[in-house]
Amino acid sequence: MKYARLFAAFFKASLVADLEYRANFVTRIATDIFWYAAQIITFETLFRHTDRIGSWNLEQTRVFLGLLFVVDAFYMIFFHDNLDRMSDRVRKGEMDLLLAKPVDSQFMLSCQRMATALIGNLLIGLSWLSFSLYNLPGFQPARLLWLIFLIPAGLLCLYSVRFMFCSTAILFTRSENLQYLWFQVYKLGMRPDSIYFPWLKFVILTILPVGIVASVPARAILDPPNFALFAWVVVWSFVLLYLSHRFWQWALTKYSSASS
Amino acid sequence: MSLVIETKDLSRVFVSYEKPEGLLESLRGFWDRKHIEKTALAPTTLQIESGQIIGLVGANGAGKTTLLKLLSGLIHPSSGTASVLGFQPWERKSAFLKRISILLGQKNQLWWDLAPNDSFALLAEIYDLDRKTALMRVQELAELLECKHVLQTQLRRLSLGERMKMEIIGSLLHSPEILFLDEPTIGLDIVAQTSIRKFLGEYVREKGPTVILTSHYMDDIAKLADRLLLISKGQFVYDGTVQGFVAKTESLQKITFSLIEPLPENLQLMDGLELSATQQEFSVEVSSKDLAPILGKITRLPGIHNLKFEEADFEDIIHRFLEKESRVLSPGGHH
Amino acid sequence: MCTALIELTLWIAIFASSTSTSIGGFTREYYLAYVLWVAFIGRISSSWMYEFRMIEEVESGSINGLLVRPMSFFEYYLSQLMGYKFVTSIFSLMIPLAVIYWMDLPTDFSKVPIALALVVYYLIMVHCLSFIVSTFAFSLTRVHSFTVAKNLALWLLSGELIPLDLIPEPFKSVLLKLPFCNAVYMPVAYMTGRIPRDVFMQGFLSTTLGILFFGAIGWWLWRRGLTKYVGTGA
Repeated sequence: MKYARLFAAFFKASLVADLEYRANFVTRIATDIFWYAAQIITFETLFRHTDRIGSWNLEQTRVFLGLLFVVDAFYMIFFHDNLDRMSDRVRKGEMDLLLAKPVDSQFMLSCQRMATALIGNLLIGLSWLSFSLYNLPGFQPARLLWLIFLIPAGLLCLYSVRFMFCSTAILFTRSENLQYLWFQVYKLGMRPDSIYFPWLKFVILTILPVGIVASVPARAILDPPNFALFAWVVVWSFVLLYLSHRFWQWALTKYSSASS
Repeated sequence: MSLVIETKDLSRVFVSYEKPEGLLESLRGFWDRKHIEKTALAPTTLQIESGQIIGLVGANGAGKTTLLKLLSGLIHPSSGTASVLGFQPWERKSAFLKRISILLGQKNQLWWDLAPNDSFALLAEIYDLDRKTALMRVQELAELLECKHVLQTQLRRLSLGERMKMEIIGSLLHSPEILFLDEPTIGLDIVAQTSIRKFLGEYVREKGPTVILTSHYMDDIAKLADRLLLISKGQFVYDGTVQGFVAKTESLQKITFSLIEPLPENLQLMDGLELSATQQEFSVEVSSKDLAPILGKITRLPGIHNLKFEEADFEDIIHRFLEKESRVLSPGGHH
Repeated sequence: MCTALIELTLWIAIFASSTSTSIGGFTREYYLAYVLWVAFIGRISSSWMYEFRMIEEVESGSINGLLVRPMSFFEYYLSQLMGYKFVTSIFSLMIPLAVIYWMDLPTDFSKVPIALALVVYYLIMVHCLSFIVSTFAFSLTRVHSFTVAKNLALWLLSGELIPLDLIPEPFKSVLLKLPFCNAVYMPVAYMTGRIPRDVFMQGFLSTTLGILFFGAIGWWLWRRGLTKYVGTGA
């Protein structure tokens, strides 16, 4: 399909462009490694003093973290830079040339420039995930197959909501507060959903689906399959994607384009 | 000749809010924001035939870019209809977008960190072009634009002129039927400008696309356009040929000269035309009928030298015309 | 604010699923008090905005101003930082004070002033670090990533994530000897009764050593940076 080819083309072009700045591949890891260390150390230390947090023990929480790192890395590679710069581009009128292309503008805006330098982060995430799975008693490798659906679904949910946040840049010129709000919300997804109060847990699995990102895939591996939950996640991801598209189309009618 | 662009009462109004001054006003503004409506484009009815080259001229903010953006589908109109190649532009259908191209001067669509060739490969993908055909076309265009030698150099390392040439190749890659060119030569040195102008002239003659061109450089318009649209404050004030326009406005002669010593006092050449005593370099515009008497007066000035005649610039003519349209009479005699 | 809520939820969950009522020797209320304070004190003792501004000024190279009185660059931004932190602290402290008072969480209010004094004193060292990072701008581009990395590291070392006393030996002793724990752990642990007075007072000592150490490095880097900069011709 054309969009799949384009996606691959953008990835390749981004990689070629990023290879120009070789140092970047290392600096990004050097920076983010503290973030990864922080998450890991927090839980490792806490579990020295208690057996369970929420409904999981140490080995299980490690798997949760591994999945969080992996999905986060995919998000950072494909979408983060594009979405982060969106409000800037709207303000500076750089969207025009994108809009003039015979390709869906949402796709262009979201995927054009990928941060391939973050492949290092993905490797770190995968290493930790492998390590945690290796140390997981009663691990059933077959369960990994669920991830084929759940990780893309989680990514789509995350992307769609974030994109809707960013689309508001067309409507309000100063949306930094909204970005900040997003980061706070994202933090909710960085902890196992079982630690939250029921109503909050519901929210992070639906309206602000940051819980879908890591908690649901973790459940797929750690617990017996919950078909209803998985079906929900997949369906919801398509619904959110559709909503983000409609919202974007509507926002475009309000687009007035910075004057030259 | 078929119609490719048709508009009926197409208009665009921008709404903005009045920025309050001072604290009290800001507080009041919190509840009761005053709308300011600016008509960027007044209801316009236009018809453009295939193959025409339209020069769109006007002051900054006059509405030319708004018209361009409406016709290319970038923004939605406030009212009215438009049909470009049978499509409604702002629906931005793929089939439509593949047949048009927009070039915004000073804005890059090509990737900064890639060599133009790599960017062109991406564009070929985006426009569903056959790889080989696209490659050939790049070579063809680069040959005409004399920039083949930098096709493999990263965009950020190229000069402004070379970058613009690459942007032009990028916008012509898919052989568009309609070209929207917004200030294509702005900011370029004279060599690059001439080169691009020459290329555009040749390209248009050979391939025959419909072109809508806006520019501040009247040379672009005068040499390329066969139809001139003058726009002022959102309204069209002239629609016809370039020659017709020149004929319509008074043909002016520009006389420039210098004096060895400044005048003892201001000297009036005629009604509204005065030579100042503080200057030694002068440039005056005079219509043909006043030429003889004024010239007589000037040649009698003591210490005059460097006397030159010129047809007034197309640019000056346009500005005069625009000023007249805005009902502001400027005193004769530029500095 | 949100961070505080998330951390509170985490600790409530930890205790809910734990078999004992105390962790590391402290009950739930102590942890709730800790995270509440940490969320706000952590904001006071970190520096982003002014660091970015300092980097920008060095990058843009208004060299004459920098050359003439180097001390004023340091002093100017220090006073800016202090002023800003002073104002924002007054507002941000009201929430933890209110919540802790209302929920009756363990905090000895008499210790608050001296704990805050340590944070303010620590800010000087933070400023020295910002100063060092800004000197990188003399010879490197994209210095922002250093700021991000540094702040992430400090986040880890300062006790913002978890009370440092939970960390196993030998790491715990090392972390407590380094000056970075004075950003959050020392003042908050003292206020919430996790450490005794003599341990807390050591914080002033380690901060002083930190200021001297980083201050010296900063001064040396500054001198080097300026000569190099002038050498290449402004």
